[in-house]
Formats: sequence, structure tokens, C-alpha cells
Amino acid sequence: MKLLIIEDNEDLLQNIQTYLKREGYICESAKSYSAAFDKVMSYTYDVVLIDIMIPGGSGLQVLRELKSVNPETGTIIISAKNALDDKVEGLELGADDYITKPFQLPELHARIKAVNRRQQRDGKEIINVNEISINTKTMEVTVDGNPVNLTPKEYELLLYFSSNKNHVLSKQTIAEHLWGDYVDHLENLDFLYQHIKNLRKKLENAGADDYIESVYGIGYKFKVH
Amino acid sequence: MKLITKFVLIYLTVTIIVLGIAGFVSYHIIKGELDNELKWRFLDRIERVTYLLEQGENLESTVQDDDDTNLKIVALPNRVEPDVEIRDTLVWHDRLQQREPNLKMVAYRNVDGSGYRITTYGALVESDDITEAVIQILLWILGLQVIGAVGVGFIVSNRLFKPFRKTLKQIKNFTLKDKKPITAEETSVSEFDDLNKFVEEMTSKAVSDYKNLKEFAENASHELQTPLSIIKGKLELLTQTDLSTEQYKFVEDSQRSVKKLSRLSESLALLTKIENHEFTETKEVNLSELITESIQSFDEFIALNGLTVEAEVEDDVTVQMHPVLADILWTNLFQNAIKHNVKEGSIDISLNSQRLRISNTGDPLSSTPEELFQRFKKDSVDSNSIGLGLAIIKRIVDQYHYTISYTHKDGWHTINIDFQH
Repeated sequence: MKLLIIEDNEDLLQNIQTYLKREGYICESAKSYSAAFDKVMSYTYDVVLIDIMIPGGSGLQVLRELKSVNPETGTIIISAKNALDDKVEGLELGADDYITKPFQLPELHARIKAVNRRQQRDGKEIINVNEISINTKTMEVTVDGNPVNLTPKEYELLLYFSSNKNHVLSKQTIAEHLWGDYVDHLENLDFLYQHIKNLRKKLENAGADDYIESVYGIGYKFKVH
Repeated sequence: MKLITKFVLIYLTVTIIVLGIAGFVSYHIIKGELDNELKWRFLDRIERVTYLLEQGENLESTVQDDDDTNLKIVALPNRVEPDVEIRDTLVWHDRLQQREPNLKMVAYRNVDGSGYRITTYGALVESDDITEAVIQILLWILGLQVIGAVGVGFIVSNRLFKPFRKTLKQIKNFTLKDKKPITAEETSVSEFDDLNKFVEEMTSKAVSDYKNLKEFAENASHELQTPLSIIKGKLELLTQTDLSTEQYKFVEDSQRSVKKLSRLSESLALLTKIENHEFTETKEVNLSELITESIQSFDEFIALNGLTVEAEVEDDVTVQMHPVLADILWTNLFQNAIKHNVKEGSIDISLNSQRLRISNTGDPLSSTPEELFQRFKKDSVDSNSIGLGLAIIKRIVDQYHYTISYTHKDGWHTINIDFQH
């Protein structure tokens, strides 16, 4: 998958690139409005990440131009502004998703995947992890063809794991993905354990291997070879 | 007290004092003049008598008991030094049946080598009469002064103070939020011009300071988010490397602190925004729906914390609020009740058109309830709490002029928000 990251901050750019490159993405970057404009006009990308505040112009302008030449491209707006206006304007202009700084890299990754899935039309809504297959359209999960009955939260959890294979995911990160900011104020994230336990049990009962590995004191890892 | 009332009162007080002094002086001047007049008349009479004596008329025997003149001529055996004595005396007045103050003049004259004593006396104008007259005059003056002062006062306050009242009204209606300083208007009074100019300068300074402060608060909050994002990302990348459990733990702790820092700056930015009255639009917010939905979405945490929630929510309770603020207000209240609860505790919610009440079981406070709504006043040692939740609640409640109160009784903490102003 080919990505363009429009972000003027060197360090942040590096973080995103490092994380995504490890996932096997081809990442290109643009640090200013003019560079972004050139790239958007000259090449096509699967997903473009756009920071709103970039030198030389607005990320929203880039989005507008991108949508005019290449409406199929998936777009995610990154903003330090938690301003509602930006969000509404961005989504109205056709951005597929919106993420505010500071964000978790696995979260960004999950959103890129989700956006990318929506762009695909040719049966790519099926994600396969060895014997497990996830249909993101019907939200059905099967193991070797046997359907697994998951709750919405368990389904989300599995999807999140499959988006961030072989990464250590802290409990905090997972909880935030599933419940959003509500977990901000909670000290005890043990409830997550319940969901993981149930998911693991259901997958195992359906005949899948145990991919979910506990990392002591930290969280979990979806280990796939 | 109105300035003009005060002015009139001071003016009248001064007038009364001045009139008092004037009365005293007038009395003495009038009395002096009258007395002098009487003396001159007596002297004149004595001179005439002396003249008649010199002409050889025998007046000695004819002591005139004509009451009007009250003249008494006594021949003396010896020559005398010519002299005039003036005395005040009291004389019985037949008609008035009382003693009246009189002026008595005794003159010694020599006529043809023999001495005479000529005595004459007459009623003085009574001091009471003079006093009465003076007081009557002064009262008239005072009355006219009062009418004048009040009349002038009204004209002054209506006409002269017009520009002042206008400025006052402008100041009253001035809000920083409009970002429009008050513009000075030309008046014919230099003091008012000074005032208007000062108000203009002051308000434009306030407006520019406000803009700066607002921009600073916003920018600071935004600028913080980028470095925080970087730290967060780096920590995340670090967790993907081969770390020992101990190292993981350090990373995790750092992540938590970063998260807290970012929440802190968001909350401060929010507080600043509320304080700057950026959420002024109001809409009808259905609190009943908001609360019911939110209880459902928190369901899992409630169950996992072993809490019981009792909600007594009247249908379709609406308030006029900014929807975002209504949401923040309720979420903060509810999260607060969950966070500061005890194991197997309870939360009690009650909503009707008059008030919203939320109670939760919890450990007693160690600080005073008044401090609870201040920034960074935390009762618990809970390091996850940033201590701004209640400050934000208080701010929102203040903006809509609701009343909020906190009580603690029998292990229950209760926060009550009264929607009546």
C-alpha cells in the first residue's frame, strides 16, 4: 500500500514512517503545502494523511485539490486542533477520517486500514489471518469456514489486533481504541481482560490457534508468523 | 446616593450654614441701626429742650408726663459737667402689662449758670421682633434656594450629565467577547472628554490583551499537542523493540504521564474557552436523553466497577445550553461519581425540570467542600485525576447562572445543580 504523509514536523513524521514502514507500507512524505500539492497532483496514493497546519498553506486546501483530481484516494486528517469546525469542514470536504494529536500509532494504523478497506471494492473486505477470516462488510468472523459468534466489542478487538499484528499493544491503547476517551479517567483496566479472555476462548473453541499473547504488565500482542 | 442628590444636599447644607451666619450678622446690624436711630432722636430732643431752656422758658416745673415724650427736667443746685449717659432699662408698660426694654438717656446741661438734668426714655424695638423678621426673611431665601437647587439639579443631571450617562451605558454593555473597544465621542465638557478618551484607551487595551491571552492559551494548548504526539509515538516505537518487562513498565508509566499531560492541556484550553465565553450559543438540550444515553454507554465500566446506578430521570427535561457544554457538564459529573466511588458502591441520579442531583458513595473528604470547585484542588491522592473536572463544572454552571452545591452525609457525596436562577 502506498501512503503519502503530509506533516511538517520532522519527528512526528519519522514516528509515523517508522511504524508504518515496519508494516510494509511504502511511505512518501511532504513537509509543505507546495511539496504536498506537487505529489498529490503527480502521483496516486491509496491513503493520504493530511496535517491541517502546514507551512505555505492549509491541509484542507490540499484535501480539496486531491479530491478534485483523485476522489478515490482515502484521506485522514491529522490535527492538533481539537476544533469542531476543522473536523466538520474536513469531513465535509470528503476526508474519510479525522484524528487529533496526540494519537496512538496503532490507532492511526487501524484507521488507515479501515479507510483503505472502504476504498477497496474487489472483495478485499475479507481480512485473512491464517485460518481466521474477517469479513469487514458483514462483520462476520470464521475459522476454517466455521462461523464464530462475537460481540461487537470482541469483533472490534480482533480487527484491531489483526491491524497491528506482532505489535505489543498496551492495555491503555486497546481500551482507548474500543471505548474512546471514556477510559481516560479509569484507573483499573481489568475489564479489558474479560473481553480478551472471551475472544480467545471463542476463537480457540472454533479451532483457531492462540494468537493472543499476554505481555506481562504491559498488554497483549497478536502474534502471527 | 445619586451624585446630583449629594450635590444638592451639600449645597443646601452650606446654604443653611451661610444663612445662619447671615441671620446673626443681620440681626446685630439691624439692631445697631435702630438703637442708633433712637439715640439720635433722643439727642435731638435734648438739644431742643436745652435750647428752650436757654430761651428762658421754665420747663422745670412742667415735668412732662406726656407718655409719648417721657421727658423729665430737673434743675440741679450746682453747675455740672455737660455729659450724656445712655442706659438700658426696663420700664413697666401699662398696656402690655409687662416690663419692656427701654433706652434711657440722661443729659447734664448748664443753662445760665445753673445745672439741669434732662432725662428721656423710650421703648426699644424688641429683639424678638427683629429675630422674627430676620428668620422670616431667611426662610424665604432658603425656600427659594431649595427650589432653585432642585430645579438646577434636575437640569444638570438631565442635560449636563447626558454624555456621562451614555458612557456609563457603553461601559455597562461592554463585553470583551465582542472584541470592540468603546469609541470616544466629542462632548462640550473637557472632563467628559477625558473620561471618554480614557475609557476608549482602556477598553482597546483590554481587548488587545484579551486577544493576546486567548491566542496564547489556545496556541499553547495546540503547540503542546505536537511534541506530545512525538513523545507518544517514540514511546510506542520503543515498545515494539525488544524490551525487558521492567523497561516496558517504564515506557508504560511514561505513556500514562504523557496522556495525562495532554489531557491537562486540553482541559485548561477548555476552561479558558469557557471563561472567554466562547460557548455562548444556546440550544435546547434534552438532558433526559443525554443522561440516559450516557448511563448506557458507561454501562460496562459501571458493571466492572461493581457499581449500582439508580436513575430517576423525568422525561424530556430540557435546558437552554451550548450542547458541547451540556455534554461536558454531565460527563464530568458522572465520571466524577464513578471515579471517586468505592468498591460495590452506588450512584444515585435524579433529574427533574428544577434540578439535577447526583450522589455517590465514597470516602469522606479531607479538604473543605468550598475548595472542591477550585482548580487543582484534589481530595484524593489519585494520580490519574488532574483536578480540573469540578472547576470545569463550576465554570459551566456559573455561565448559565445555575446554583451548585455540594453536601456530604452518611457516606454519600451529593452534588446538586439548581436550574432556577
